[in-house]
Amino acid sequence: MRRALNALIQKELRQTVRDRRMMVLLIAVPTIQIIVFGFAVDLEVDRVPTVVVDQDRSVESRRHVRRLFADGTLHLRYQTQDTQEAERLLISGQANLALIFPSGFQRDQLCGRPTQVQAVVDGSDPNRGRSAGAAVGGYFGQVGPMLRIAPPSGRVSVEPKLSFNPGLDTAKFMLPGIIGVLLLLITTIVAAMGLARERQTGTLEQLMVTPMAPTTVILGKILPFAGFGFLDLSLALTAAVVIFDMPTRGSLIAVYATAGIYLVATLSTGLFISTISRTQQQAFLGGFLFLLPAVLLSGMLTPVRAMPAWLELATWLNPVRHFIELLRANLLADAGFLERWPNLLALSLYGLFMTVLSISRYRKTLE
Amino acid sequence: MNATVLLEGLVRRFGKTTAVDGIDLELSHGELFGLVGPDGAGKTTTVRMLAGLIAPDGGRVRVLGEDPLTSASVRDVLGLMPQEYSLYLDLSIRENLQFFGRLYGLGRAEWARRVERLMRITRLEPFMDRRAGALSGGMYKKLALSCALLHEPKVLLLDEPTNGVDPVSRRELWDLIHEFVQGGMTVLVCTPYMDEAERCHRVGLLHRGRLIATGEPAALIRDIEHETYTVHAGAGAELFDEVFAFEDVLAASPAGSELRIVVRGGRASEVQRRLDALGGRLEACEPTFEDLFLVRIKDAEGMAA
Repeated sequence: MRRALNALIQKELRQTVRDRRMMVLLIAVPTIQIIVFGFAVDLEVDRVPTVVVDQDRSVESRRHVRRLFADGTLHLRYQTQDTQEAERLLISGQANLALIFPSGFQRDQLCGRPTQVQAVVDGSDPNRGRSAGAAVGGYFGQVGPMLRIAPPSGRVSVEPKLSFNPGLDTAKFMLPGIIGVLLLLITTIVAAMGLARERQTGTLEQLMVTPMAPTTVILGKILPFAGFGFLDLSLALTAAVVIFDMPTRGSLIAVYATAGIYLVATLSTGLFISTISRTQQQAFLGGFLFLLPAVLLSGMLTPVRAMPAWLELATWLNPVRHFIELLRANLLADAGFLERWPNLLALSLYGLFMTVLSISRYRKTLE
Repeated sequence: MNATVLLEGLVRRFGKTTAVDGIDLELSHGELFGLVGPDGAGKTTTVRMLAGLIAPDGGRVRVLGEDPLTSASVRDVLGLMPQEYSLYLDLSIRENLQFFGRLYGLGRAEWARRVERLMRITRLEPFMDRRAGALSGGMYKKLALSCALLHEPKVLLLDEPTNGVDPVSRRELWDLIHEFVQGGMTVLVCTPYMDEAERCHRVGLLHRGRLIATGEPAALIRDIEHETYTVHAGAGAELFDEVFAFEDVLAASPAGSELRIVVRGGRASEVQRRLDALGGRLEACEPTFEDLFLVRIKDAEGMAA
């Protein structure tokens, strides 16, 4: 069994390394995607182009401007004395936010009189507008009650939320989800194509007449691609940490152990799909039929708790949900195996069930 | 000891078509058996059931007393060379041989010894590092046979091993098969080629999923109860169209400028009489395996009708 398994793994690695398209799919695509997706969720709340109209030109107004732009949510693009110029920049879309410090700002503030800063937000992109408004509101909310924000006027609206977290946390929250989905896409498709390709090229017939046990064959498909899965996980984690500053608060060993169980779950699902497919094309389509609901019901984009009760219950069957929750808990909150044991148990049971199912289906693949 | 290979009332259907329709067959140790029949006769389906790749719908298969569908141990001593490509085309000859050697648990020294011998006989040695996908048809088949022989199976199943192979490679393949048969291997070979059937100890004629004749090739030919003739046409080829329609002509096939026919036993004079009117002439000739096959198909269809 060991010799045969080694032979299978070596053969699989050889074939994969020789297949340039496979290597691109396994290594380049996930790296590029984590970076692109990471920036995509990052950009929603970052670097809002801003025009500052400082009519006061005082030490106080400059101090506030400097501190406002410190966290990177807002990006100081233009400075002017002219409110008309600021309006023009807003309308043309060159700026999404205008901040107006009226003359007398410092004097009023030092005398303890109420003073006003006007923030005009372009609300045509609600997400961006909300972030910009929240950044301004959040800042002045902290500075104190002596400053307050002008109420929204005209076609633009601002809805300051004092409880808003500085934008980057969204990306950090999204990254584990992206990693989970990336691993899912790659491993499921690769595994689904795996047996289907052997079948289509006729090699499955030759494998089946050997005395190898079905377990050996299935393991020989799962193990090498779990190896590539770990490689992808490492690439994605590195990109997430280096580029997006994602924290890794929990133990990395726990991350990899969880990922191991997850990879067995996704790979065996792919293998099961290929045992019920006749061609590679069918396997590919079958893979997508599984992938779409798996991603949508994973809680990556929409929280599982926001779903109807019956659907939330159904997500217990979704390995992606468990892995993303485990990964988030581990990376962001240092919660390991024990705190999240229901997720871990559900994920393990799913993986075991799918592996056994593909092993039992294997010899029927040619029927 | 029972038969090395045993098929009993074997049936396999695909949807509404019955690919194999009740085959009974026994092969004894060291026998070279040829399963002969046209495309679609059920040869491949029979071999796949013998190899345990698909389950029969009826009857049973035993190889060395065991069911190849469920017994992994019998697969240790079973070899298969499928008709279609079945090796890894993106791996080299050496890598394919290594892979299958390890699946059968061959030791390194034993593997090297067997590969050396197989490569020498098949003359593939200089190409060991060439990808299997870059081999010619004949070379590929020799490699596939080598892979099937690597673990020296007791029972070897060959599904059209010489399909699309040049005459030289074809002879080499058969030499290799004969060498292993002499070593005591039991071989079942499927072939649509009649001349290859005559190289076997025994043959079975497969037609529409049924064995319509089984026996030694020479004996089967000898036992034909009909007569074979060559028709020499005086007036030209249009005469042949008429001959096809003669009631007593069981089979007719063009052979060069002449026509080869099988005439129902004892009816030759009747045929000659009708030919006289058309200006044709009969000349007796030796029956061949092809004649046998055509006659038996005719018989089978006559019985079915």
